[in-house]
Amino acid sequence: MPEVNLVQAVNLALRRAMADDTRVLVLGEDVGVDGGVFRATDGLHQLYGAYRVLDTPLAEAAIAGVSVGLAAQGFLPVAEIQFTGFAYTCIDQLLNHAARLRTRTRGRLTCPMVLRSPAGGGIHAVEHHSESPEAMFAHIPGLKVVIPSSPARAYGLLLSAIRDPDPVVFLEPTRLYRTTREEVADDGAGLPLERCVVLRGGRDVTLVSWGAMLKETLEAAERLSDDNIEAEVIDVATLKPLDDATILDAVTRTGRMVVVQEAPLTCGFGAEIAARVAEHALTSLLAPIERVAGYDTVMPYPRTESFYMPSVERIMAAVRRTVAYT
Amino acid sequence: MTAFKLPDLGEGLPDAEIVAWHVAEGDHVVVDQPLLSVETAKAVVELPSPQAGRIAQLLAKPGERVAVGSPLLLFEEGPHPDAGTVVGELETPKPSTPTRPGAEASAPTPTERSAGPRAAPAVRARARELGVDLARTTPSGPGGSVTMADVDASVAGTAQDIPLRGARRTMALNMARAWREVAHATLHDEADIATWSAQEDVTVRLIRAIAAACAAEPTLNASFIGATNALRKNDRVDLGLAIDSPDGLFVPVLRDVAQATSADLRQRIDALKQAVRVRTLTPADLRQPTLTLSNFGTIAGTHAALIIVPPQVAIVGAGRIGQRPAARGNAIELRRTLPLSLTFDHRAVNGGEAARFMRAALADLERPT
Amino acid sequence: MTTVAEFTISSTRVLDASGKVVAPLPAFAKDVDALTSLYRAMTLTRTFDAKAVALQRTGRLGTYASSLGQEAVGVGIAAAMRPDDVLLPSFREHGAQLGRGVSLEELFLYWGGDERGNDFSRATADFPNCVPVGSHAPHAVGVALAFRLRKEPRVAVCVFGDGATSKGDVAEALNMAGVWTLPVVFVVSNNGWAISVPVTKQTSAATLAQKAIAAGMPGEQVDGNDVIAVRLAVEAALDRARNGDGPTLIEAMTYRLSDHTTADDASRYRDDAEVSHHWSEEPILRLRNYLVSLGAWGKEQEEQLLHACSQQVETAAAAFLRTSPLPPRAMFDHTYARLPADLVGQIEAAGFPAADAHA
Repeated sequence: MPEVNLVQAVNLALRRAMADDTRVLVLGEDVGVDGGVFRATDGLHQLYGAYRVLDTPLAEAAIAGVSVGLAAQGFLPVAEIQFTGFAYTCIDQLLNHAARLRTRTRGRLTCPMVLRSPAGGGIHAVEHHSESPEAMFAHIPGLKVVIPSSPARAYGLLLSAIRDPDPVVFLEPTRLYRTTREEVADDGAGLPLERCVVLRGGRDVTLVSWGAMLKETLEAAERLSDDNIEAEVIDVATLKPLDDATILDAVTRTGRMVVVQEAPLTCGFGAEIAARVAEHALTSLLAPIERVAGYDTVMPYPRTESFYMPSVERIMAAVRRTVAYT
Repeated sequence: MTAFKLPDLGEGLPDAEIVAWHVAEGDHVVVDQPLLSVETAKAVVELPSPQAGRIAQLLAKPGERVAVGSPLLLFEEGPHPDAGTVVGELETPKPSTPTRPGAEASAPTPTERSAGPRAAPAVRARARELGVDLARTTPSGPGGSVTMADVDASVAGTAQDIPLRGARRTMALNMARAWREVAHATLHDEADIATWSAQEDVTVRLIRAIAAACAAEPTLNASFIGATNALRKNDRVDLGLAIDSPDGLFVPVLRDVAQATSADLRQRIDALKQAVRVRTLTPADLRQPTLTLSNFGTIAGTHAALIIVPPQVAIVGAGRIGQRPAARGNAIELRRTLPLSLTFDHRAVNGGEAARFMRAALADLERPT
Repeated sequence: MTTVAEFTISSTRVLDASGKVVAPLPAFAKDVDALTSLYRAMTLTRTFDAKAVALQRTGRLGTYASSLGQEAVGVGIAAAMRPDDVLLPSFREHGAQLGRGVSLEELFLYWGGDERGNDFSRATADFPNCVPVGSHAPHAVGVALAFRLRKEPRVAVCVFGDGATSKGDVAEALNMAGVWTLPVVFVVSNNGWAISVPVTKQTSAATLAQKAIAAGMPGEQVDGNDVIAVRLAVEAALDRARNGDGPTLIEAMTYRLSDHTTADDASRYRDDAEVSHHWSEEPILRLRNYLVSLGAWGKEQEEQLLHACSQQVETAAAAFLRTSPLPPRAMFDHTYARLPADLVGQIEAAGFPAADAHA
């Protein structure tokens, strides 16, 4: 089995999906001839031609809107938005149309589209290229939001997203695109959406995160182990719909939770997780729920970016506070 | 309000039938806008509005014949209220209920927050489970909060407190209950055992004496059912024998002592003592004595008012055997005596019954070996 | 200096405001039955429209956007389309929807605030109304793309108003349709007003049709109150699209004789005299005049038609008024293909029984 990195895993999944189902289309800026600025769609244009891999004009809202039209007509469009910083203009098409087409027509028209986009900072890019908008998408009823954190999970989750009968926003952690390589079986097997993944067991505290922050979270867990603090690590993977049962089960056992998110603190997705735990596992809590998050500021320019991103040290400090509480 | 009346449509007709309205009440119409279609002999005619205005009321229905000159609709007079929206309806306060000035001005006074104990939810749950009052628990956590350790320590007491377990715990619970329920009264006396041989089996003699006393006064062997104020006669004397051990007090039961031989009794007593030592007593061994014997005199003490565990109504206490001055005729002699205490439940047993029981027991004890 | 590009915008009209023929009649317009069919369709549209307004005024329908005066645009479009074409309306194309097979009752349900109004039993691929102005233009591009990918001779027809031509979504959609040469026809129903903003304040372009030129597609104007011209222009555009010659933008010139919606009061911002003038150009009158001039229409037909339309509309309205609202649990139905666990939890917490009705 070859070892692939995350963006290659995305490419594998797209190839597999397009080979298995002629309804699958890819569209976006520079996705065809150029294979995508991150090479996520590399080779697809050569395989499937301009009819299934479309280089669109520079029009993000229309890319999302065209996907709605295609999906209503029975295709499975996978639209790429080059950076999530440019996806905000798609929110109108996603929120006002994609996410409600099924319910407002009582199921007569549906919208099985995927909108995939690189998200998150730490790539020393110019402004607007380091966004973490997942909470905004997760707030939209009728939409699904998926964020992989490893090549294997990117492969399996993207396949499931493409096959899902409802619209899915698939946010790929840009920072992890090329950092890790692992063996990914190109077997066409999808990973279930609506399922959190326990990456590491631990009895003292439950760490919950998604996307690129899993890298720092897992590292923090390893280092805390030296101090005899065993941290459980959960990858949310599908933010919406949320598999809160896995998280609640974990916190019921450990009694302590730290949520790690790159996005700004206020109204981030960590708030939703914290609220559900407070609501359903209150009497298990031994300490307040902590959120290690980006600050409520605009992501600073690259020279100061590293101060913004939650670090291993910040995560470890939060865990220590939690464990020492009672 | 201005009325729009059916105009003369020519053709010399006095009336026309309304075919269809083209406007609705509330519509703003303009000059020349078709208001309705009416039917004449020759044609269906659209009637245009002679004025701009808002329609207040339609006065005729489709299918009706209306005479020329009769009013078809009424135009509103005066300005039309502004809906102030293009979609939906915005509620306005009803004119009949004036808002009282200052009604919303004063915020409700915040209720005094009681400065209760602070503790994490899991700690509170544990405290509730263990019946610990957080307010009376010494907090050692951050911000003066009660920790899990504080709750556990509160249940245990101080660091040196040993939680009762096993037989000691049972004793604590049983004695407290007994003290609450039983109406204890005690009779003390002495048996003159000068005629006993030196090797007399004291415990067996005591047991035989109790059996004889139960035969004389069966009431002391009954069971008192407090809940129903009933007395249950027991056919057998099942004697509980208090046995002391490092693990605490055990009271195994010798069944039907009245029918047993002395040798039999001794054998069974030894077996029970052994069982206590090696902790092989079973629950069946401890169940339902009809009365109890405590031979505390083997250690120390003469007379005692002991505690009866319901539903028993009597407990016999045997004190330390010794030489004691006694009156014989007009002289004082040293005689070997065995002090005896009988505590009885005065809810079930009266003084006379108790005294007769005592007399019978003493009589049996004072028989020579 | 050299001229590198020029453009012309032409305008088509067959019947003038009085109903006189001023251009060669297209073949279908020589067929009296076809014309009376168009007349009936416009009359039914207006009858429905009046009833909808009346129901709103009596609190039995929600806010409603009247199509008074614009019947020819919708009816002409629907008459030109084939059954397996797809219509993407804005929210004022009731005549087009009726012509496509959407029932009166479905229209009453939609405007009465019931999603079942969008579950069309015919024209099942047509899109429901689009309220966020112009945001359906990209959908039309997607639908047209689907037809092209499947090599089907079908066309998407996207209708929006003059205000929508200022929206980014519309510009993006026109551009994409043009560069990909897609089978889509965009119809701008220019009724002169975007709520209170007249088209002269909407853009400084001399016509809205010329926005097509910027997108690389042909643009033309048509008299939107002349149902013959509308049908002619749309048919021609559909043919071009079916033949692979790409999209067209048609600007249909009409006038909004009603308020923007039943909650709006146009007399606040528009001159009554201007509205009165446009009554003399309205679409039903001119076709009636023409049909009468042909001897093809008279009092009996008019009376019969008014009665028939009235009956149809009243029956549908009564059926709608009899329909009970959806049960509260229906809010959750169709949120996803399959309800996720936390939504099932919400249903239970709300006290609605969680029987899985549909999926």
